[in-house]
Amino acid sequence: MSDLLPRPEIAPAAVWTFPAPTRARLSNGVELMVFELPGQHVVSAHLVLDVPLNAEGRDIEGVATICARTLDEGTLRHDGDEFAELLETEGAGFGIDLSLSGLQAILDVPASHLDRALELFAEAVSEPSLADRDVNRHVQLRLAEIEQAQANSAQIASIAFRGAVFEESRRAARMNGGEPETVRQVTPESVAAFHHDHFGPEDTTLVLAGDFPSDPIEAAERCFGSWRNDAQRRVVAEEPAAGARRTVLVDRPGAVQADVRLGGFGIDRLDPRWSAVSIASYAMGGAFLSRLNAVLREEKGFTYGVRMNFGPLRTGGSFAVQGSFRTDVVVEALAITRELIKVDDVPFTSQEVDDAVAFFTGVSPLRYATAEGVADQAATQVLAGLPDDYVDRSLALLRSVTPEAASEAYRSVVHPDDLTLVVVGDAEQLADPLRATGFPDLEVRAAAD
Amino acid sequence: MTQPQRLARFGRCAVMWGMTQGALTRLAYPIAQHTLENGLRVISSPDHIAPSIAINIWYDVGSRDEEEGRTGFAHLFEHVMFQGSAHVASGQHIALLQAAGAVVNATTWFDRTNYFETLPTGGLDLALWLEADRMGTLLDALTQENLDNQREVVKEEKRQRYDNVPYGDVMELLNTLTFPPDHPYGHTTIGSMEDLDAATLEDVHAFFRRHYVPSNAVLSIVGDAEPDDAFGRAETYFGNLPADAQPTKPQAGPLEPLSGVPRTETSGKVPADALYLTWRIPARGAPHFDALDLAFSILGHGQTSRLHKQLIRRTEHAESTGASTMGLIGGNSFGFSYARARDGFSPEQLEQETVELIDELIRDGPTEDELQRAKAQFERHWLHELARVDSRADALGEYATLHGDPHLINSRIAEITAINNQDVQTAMEQWFRPEQRAALIYRQEQS
Repeated sequence: MSDLLPRPEIAPAAVWTFPAPTRARLSNGVELMVFELPGQHVVSAHLVLDVPLNAEGRDIEGVATICARTLDEGTLRHDGDEFAELLETEGAGFGIDLSLSGLQAILDVPASHLDRALELFAEAVSEPSLADRDVNRHVQLRLAEIEQAQANSAQIASIAFRGAVFEESRRAARMNGGEPETVRQVTPESVAAFHHDHFGPEDTTLVLAGDFPSDPIEAAERCFGSWRNDAQRRVVAEEPAAGARRTVLVDRPGAVQADVRLGGFGIDRLDPRWSAVSIASYAMGGAFLSRLNAVLREEKGFTYGVRMNFGPLRTGGSFAVQGSFRTDVVVEALAITRELIKVDDVPFTSQEVDDAVAFFTGVSPLRYATAEGVADQAATQVLAGLPDDYVDRSLALLRSVTPEAASEAYRSVVHPDDLTLVVVGDAEQLADPLRATGFPDLEVRAAAD
Repeated sequence: MTQPQRLARFGRCAVMWGMTQGALTRLAYPIAQHTLENGLRVISSPDHIAPSIAINIWYDVGSRDEEEGRTGFAHLFEHVMFQGSAHVASGQHIALLQAAGAVVNATTWFDRTNYFETLPTGGLDLALWLEADRMGTLLDALTQENLDNQREVVKEEKRQRYDNVPYGDVMELLNTLTFPPDHPYGHTTIGSMEDLDAATLEDVHAFFRRHYVPSNAVLSIVGDAEPDDAFGRAETYFGNLPADAQPTKPQAGPLEPLSGVPRTETSGKVPADALYLTWRIPARGAPHFDALDLAFSILGHGQTSRLHKQLIRRTEHAESTGASTMGLIGGNSFGFSYARARDGFSPEQLEQETVELIDELIRDGPTEDELQRAKAQFERHWLHELARVDSRADALGEYATLHGDPHLINSRIAEITAINNQDVQTAMEQWFRPEQRAALIYRQEQS
C-alpha cells in the first residue's frame, strides 16, 4: 500500500445476550424450553434425558449407546426401513449424543416440516422396536468402531489418557460407548431393559429452538404429552475421582509422529475458579499465539498445533496439553512443554487476560447464532445443572478475572511436576529417551490388536 | 489453518428469508455486488440479527494451479500468508483478530484458497486492513526463516492428518486412479514431502505476484453492515492496491468417463478391508452434475440409501458405507463410493454388490420417494449452510469465484427440486455406469 493507513482501532462491541427461553411443563411432567429465533428456519430439537452413564451395569457398559443408536431403526408403528424413510422424507436429521452426564436425542428439520417430524421423533424415543437383529448389528458395528479407534493414534491417546487420569473404578475412566469386553455382553434384552428403566418423562427436558410457523408448545404437548413410564428409575450421577499419576507409552511401531497428552484431574463449571482457569487455559494453550503454540508451532515448527484443553464434567473434569509431534522432536517438545506450563515466575499478564476476555466475548454471538448452537448450549446447561442465563453470567465473571486470579487458579489446578503423561508412538525410539528425561517410571504398552 | 478433506459434498447451513411451499423453500438473501477499479470483486449481504460480521476472501487459486514438482505449494503458501506483511508482524494477523473476538482460519483445496474471519462488527475495519496489508505487501515481510518454519508445520500437518492415520493415503490413490498424473486434479492438495522440501523463496514470490492480485479475488462481507458501508470500507482499504492481470486458469477440457476399470490394491495397518470406487464425472455447474449429485446421494447418503440398506442392514457385509460427489470446476469432478468390510467378507464381494446396486438404479431409476428424500436432505443441508453469516459468506465467495454469480445461492434449492427421475437415470447412463469406475482395494497388512 503506497499511502499507509494506520491500523484501525476496534469499536466497542454492541451488547449481546444469550436468548432467554420460554419454559413450560407438559402434562406428563416433561420440562419444555422454547427459544424463538427469527430467521432460523432449521429447527433444532434436543430431548435431554438425565441418565448418567453410570446407570449402565458395569458388565454391559455400552448398553446406553447401543440403545440410543437403535432408536431410529424402527418403532412399534413403523418398522425399520419405513421409519427412516419417513423421517428423511421430512428432510429431518436424527442424531444422538451421549456424555457421562446424560443422553440426548437430537432432531434437525426445516421448520415447515416440524409437526410431522416431531411426531416421528417422539415415536423413536418413546416406543422404539429395539428389534433383536438391529441391536445385534449395532453391537457388531460398535465393536468395529472400537477397532477403528484403536488404529488411530489420536484416539488411542485420548482413550489411554482418560483411563489414567480418572480413578479406574469410575465410569469416566472408560469409553462412553463401552469397551470391547462389555459391549460384547450387550443383548437385545439388556437394551430393552435399559430403555424400560431409564427412558421416561421424569427429569426429562425438551429443548426447541428455531423460527416456528405455529405454536411449538402445542406441538410438543401433542407429540410428547402422553408419554408415560411408571417404571422409570432415577440414577444419581457418580462423581469421578482422580487416578494416581502415571506415565504411559503406547507403542505404535514405525509411527511417524507421536500423540501426546500431558494433564491431570480438573474442575467443573460450578467451581469458583472456573472463569479464571478458562482465561489461563486460553493464554496457555487456546489462542493461536498462546504460550505453547507460539513456541512449539510458530517458533520451532514441531507440530501442526498444540493446545491446552479443560474438559469439565458435571462434577470435576480433566485437562491436558495435547498435540502430535514428529518422532525425533517428541522428547524436546515435552521438555519445552514442561517448562512453559509453569507460571510461578511468569504469571499471566493483563494483556493475556484482556485478549482472552475479548475473544470469549466476541465469539459468543457467532457461536450462538443458529438454532443448533442455542439448543446445544441449552442442553449442555441442563445436564450440567446450570441456570438459563449461564452464558451471560459466565461472560460477566470472565470480565472480572484479574491476572493474579488467573495465575492463582491455574497454579491450584495444574501441578506441572505431578501430571499424567500419555504418549502414543514408536517405543523403540521413544522409551529410553523419555525414561532418561524425567519419566523414569514410564510404562510401555502394546497398542491393542 | 486447516486443509479440508471433504469427501462429502453435502453439508453446510444459515438464515433464510422466504417462504416454504411444499418441498420447495424459496430463498431471498439480499446480495449486492461492486467491483473496485483494480478488479477486486466485493459482495455484501446484510443481516443485522447479531452484532457480528463475516469477512471471507476467495482467491481463485488452488492445488490445480500448481506446477510440476511443486505439489502442495498452494497450501504451503496459505500458511505463509499468516507470517506477516509490511505492517503486521509474524503471527499477529491471527493474534490481533482473536483479541478482537474473531474466529479466524483459511483453507486450501483443489479450486481455491480462502481466508476468513468472523467477529463483532466493531472489528470490521481491522479485519479489512489486515487482509489488505497482506494482499498488498506480503513479500515485504517474507523471510527464509518464516518459509522454513511453515514448511515444517505443513509437514507436521501432513503427518498428523494423512501419514499417521489409517487409510490416510486413500485420497492420493484415488486422485491417481481418476486423473492422469499431469492433470490439474492428478495430485492432492497436501502434496508430497519432496515437493514441499523443494519450495523456495523465489517460488513464493512468483506465486504471490501471479495469483494474489485484486482481480483474482472475491471479498464477501456478510452480516451487520449495509452494502454502501461495506463497499465504502472495501474501497478505503483495498482501493489503492495496484491492478494486475488476472492469471489464466489451467486448461483441462472435460475428460471422458473412465474406461477399462483401472484398479489399485494396497495394504496397510488398517482395522478392516475396504473398497473405494471412483468415477470421473462432469464439472460442477455442467449439465448432469446436479442429477449425479442426487444419484450418489441415493446410492450412499444416509440411512435410507441403497448401500446402507443392502450392505449394512440386509446382508450385514459392511460396517460402513457411503457415496457422494466432490464438485470441482476444472473440466471434471469426482464421484465416490466406499464400503468397509465386516470380518469374513471381502472387498471383492462388496464391489460386486455395489455394482449390482448401481446397475439396478440405472435400470429402474430411483423411486419417486427416494428422489424426494434426496432433495429434502439437500434442502436441509443447504439451509444449514446459509444459516450462519460465516458459512453464507463462504458460499457467496464460492459461487462468485467458481460460477461468476453469487445469486446462485438463492436458487440452488429450486435447481435441485427441478430434477426428475429421468434426469437422474440419463445422467447415470452417461457418467455413472459400473464399467466407468475405478477401484481401490485396501487390505489389512498381514502381520
